[in-house]
Amino acid sequence: MRVLLVDDEEELVSTLAERLAMRGIEASWVTDYRGALAQVEQEKFDIALLDVRLPEMNGLELKRLLAERCPAMKFIFLTGHGSEEDFRACSAESGKEYYLIKPVQIEVLVAKLNEIFQQ
Amino acid sequence: MSTNQDATSTLGLSFVGSMTASISHELKNVLAIVNENAGLLEDLALLAEKGRPLSSERLKTMSGNIRRQVQRADDIILRLNRFAHSTHEPTASIELGEVFEFTAALVARLATMRSVTVTVVMDAPVVVPLRPFVLENLLWLCLKNIFAVTQGERAVRLGAQSSDGQVVITLDPGEGLPLTDIEAQVVSEGQALLAALRSEVSVDHEHHLLRLSLPQGQ
Repeated sequence: MRVLLVDDEEELVSTLAERLAMRGIEASWVTDYRGALAQVEQEKFDIALLDVRLPEMNGLELKRLLAERCPAMKFIFLTGHGSEEDFRACSAESGKEYYLIKPVQIEVLVAKLNEIFQQ
Repeated sequence: MSTNQDATSTLGLSFVGSMTASISHELKNVLAIVNENAGLLEDLALLAEKGRPLSSERLKTMSGNIRRQVQRADDIILRLNRFAHSTHEPTASIELGEVFEFTAALVARLATMRSVTVTVVMDAPVVVPLRPFVLENLLWLCLKNIFAVTQGERAVRLGAQSSDGQVVITLDPGEGLPLTDIEAQVVSEGQALLAALRSEVSVDHEHHLLRLSLPQGQ
C-alpha cells in the first residue's frame, strides 16, 4: 500500500510518514496542493490522507483534482476542527465517513488505511 | 443599549468566533505534532527493546521538536489571552503600531491560508484614544475582505500617519485588487464599527490603498 500525506504542518506529516513506514506502509508527504499534484504525476498512490484546511486550496477541492487524475485513488480527510460542518463535507466528499480528527492515534489510522485498501 | 452598540456587539461576537476557531485549529496542529513525536519515541523505544540501537542525537532532536511545539502553544495561548482581555478594555490612548502588530499576529494563520502576509510599517508612533477591540475588529473586516478576493501570493502593509488632528490608517495590498468593492463591503458590514470609531473608509486609487480616517481626539 502506498499513501500520500498532505498537510501544511511539515513536522506532522514527516513524522507520520516515518511511523507508517515502521508499520510496513510506504508513505510520501507534501505540504500543499501543488506538491500533491506534482507527486501524483511521479508516483502511484492507493490512498491520500488530506488535511481539510490546507493553504490556498482546501482538502475537499484538492480531492476533486486528485480524483480526476487518479480515478482509483481513495481518500481520508484529516481535520483539526471536528465540527459538524467538516464531518458533513468530508462524508459527502468521500462517500463514507472517511475522516479522522487530529490528533490521530497511529493504530486508528493504520486500521482505517487497511480497511479502505482492502475494499 | 443603543442600536449601534447592539450592532458592534454582534460584529464583535463574529470576530471572536473567527479568531477562536482559527486559534483552536492552530492548537490542534500543535497537539497533533506533539502526539506524533511522543508516538515516534514510543516506536523507537520498542525497537530498542528488540535490539535496534537508539541514537542519543535522535532523542535530542525529538525532545527539541516537542519543546518547540510547547513554546508555540504557549505563544498561541498568550495571544488568545490578550485577545480575550481586549474585548472589555475601555477607551484608552493606544499606539496604533501595537494594535496593528497584534492584529497581524492574530490573523496570521488565516492570512497564510490565502497566501497573504500582513506586515506593519510605521514611520512614527501614532497615539489615538480608542477601544482597541473595535479597531482590531474593523481591521479584521478590511483584511477579511482583502483575503476573499486575493489570488496568489500577496503582502498587505498596515500603516498610519497623523496630521491636523486627523489620523489616516492605510492598508496597502498592492495593485490589482477591486478596492472599491472591498470599500463597499466594509461600509456594508462594518457600519457600526466605523460609527463607533467615528471613522470613514475610502480608497486611494492612485496609490492602491484602503484608507480609514479617524479623528485623533476620539
